[in-house]
Amino acid sequence: MLNQETRTALAAKARRLRRMVVTTVHQAGDGHPGPALSCADIVTALYYRCMRIDPAWPRWEDRDRFILSKGHACTVLYAALADLGYFPESALTTFRSLGSILQGHPDMNKTPGVDMTSGSLGHGIPVGAGMAAAARLAGRDFRVYTVVGDGELNEGIVWEGAMAAARMGLDNLVAFVDCNGFQSGGTTEEISGMNRIRERFEAFGWRCREIDGHDFDQIVDAVEETRAPSGKPTMILARTVKGKGVSFMENNNDWHKGVPDKEQLARALVELADGREL
Amino acid sequence: MTMRGTREAFIQGLLEAAQADPAIVLVCADSFKAARAAPFAAAFPDRVFDVGIAEQAAAAFAAGLASCGYKPYVNTYAGFIAMRALEQVRLYAGYTGLDVKFAGLNAGIYGGEREGVTHQFFEDLAALRAIPGLEIVVPADAGQVRQAVLALASRRGPAYIRLGSGREPDILGPEHRFEFGKLKVLSDTGTDVALFTQGPVLARVLKAADLLTARGIGAVVAEAATLKPFDAEAVAAVAARCARVVTVEDHNILGGLGSAVAETLAERGLARPLVRIGIRDVFPQSGPAEALLDHYGMRPEDIAAVSV
Repeated sequence: MLNQETRTALAAKARRLRRMVVTTVHQAGDGHPGPALSCADIVTALYYRCMRIDPAWPRWEDRDRFILSKGHACTVLYAALADLGYFPESALTTFRSLGSILQGHPDMNKTPGVDMTSGSLGHGIPVGAGMAAAARLAGRDFRVYTVVGDGELNEGIVWEGAMAAARMGLDNLVAFVDCNGFQSGGTTEEISGMNRIRERFEAFGWRCREIDGHDFDQIVDAVEETRAPSGKPTMILARTVKGKGVSFMENNNDWHKGVPDKEQLARALVELADGREL
Repeated sequence: MTMRGTREAFIQGLLEAAQADPAIVLVCADSFKAARAAPFAAAFPDRVFDVGIAEQAAAAFAAGLASCGYKPYVNTYAGFIAMRALEQVRLYAGYTGLDVKFAGLNAGIYGGEREGVTHQFFEDLAALRAIPGLEIVVPADAGQVRQAVLALASRRGPAYIRLGSGREPDILGPEHRFEFGKLKVLSDTGTDVALFTQGPVLARVLKAADLLTARGIGAVVAEAATLKPFDAEAVAAVAARCARVVTVEDHNILGGLGSAVAETLAERGLARPLVRIGIRDVFPQSGPAEALLDHYGMRPEDIAAVSV
């Protein structure tokens, strides 16, 4: 259990990151707000509570690694990295522009703090498994976290990686599945039938846990639990709401990719203002 | 002619490189046996990773290792690297620039021979050549493979090395010195024709040059073992002093060595009759390696015939 002060601080931080997300997408005139808002609390918990990082030393060898496998949600990662000081917050206004350090999807060579390039779906688990194997071979104790979309689980390489990670017993690898129930073209049920996610990962030999992906106590608890050696990689099935925090974006897949206009941005920022419960 | 395997030579070279560099690791996709990797595993049991029959994951996994300071070599069938895992090679090795190397087995119809089209890969170079930053080496024999691995090990960044079946003739001999990125003139009997080649078909090109010499026709045989970066200046210089140009490759004539030479000549306004010998944009069939090359128009006589 988190104490009230920590819980409140994390919630405030997540609201701030969400405001940065909608503002960044508005300013760029492009981006994926819905998927970013859905994993904002997971990203907040990881970067502000769970992960061992040093923003002044982005390439620190012993840092925990993070892969945003659902790279299209990158505005929330960029928001966190900017807020933590990896780069100036002003860079957010250049998102997706020519010459920007903030590419349309995460780029490990252009953006300080991005541990791995992503955007082509399916790679968080197999690449993360390579990182986790590297930690073990080097005798280092860093951990590897990835956030994978539920629609993204359609990609076959996810399961190639899941199989290998389990066979290698990489218990320093933690994959969140941001389970918001939608993918680009509709619900995961109607497009791909990607259901029974927990059972699928369990069958692949993963340790699994199911949580509310907007509850900081549950997110942090689930991560803390993975620190005990188990010989298995962990999948945390996080039940989330696509567009979480902005009423007109919630569970509305039009906001998978969509740009709030000036009036919509103003409404979103009111809803995400400090002091409000989401 | 002595036959030695390019697969065995790759592992030998890798073993030598790994003895000097503890960051070097091997990644297989249930290709450990095919790669003849046992000597590497015996020496470095902790430095071998097998992800199962999953080439895309192998490439992605290797990128994860490389991002944490290791130097992985992904060793599996050429086409499963270059085509099945093409996007992972492009994004996680090419675009990231991570130090991931790929060794492609069974490349060419000579390497894949009796397995048939599923295991004969003659489009790998065309696909990989379009990836920015990916270096490509196509050695001719086992001795050159070993040297090429050591050369690649001294270079940072992604690369692909093309290997064969494990039964390739020794062509170049113990005195040969591989130089990364350099065109190498192996024989020069005159300027009637420039013969550019790479890979084990070099043996056939050398025989063709002998046939030509016997008929009083002068030929330059130049080996472009490094396809990328391409030594275009040297290629142009050889072509400029010859009346005709012929390229010979165990690959589709689209997108590989023949294309690279054609681009080189055209971009310089260097007008020479050009014949590209190779797989003529068809799917081949199963058969003994040498018989296959004969069947698909790569007999020394075929090469000689188009050289005049």
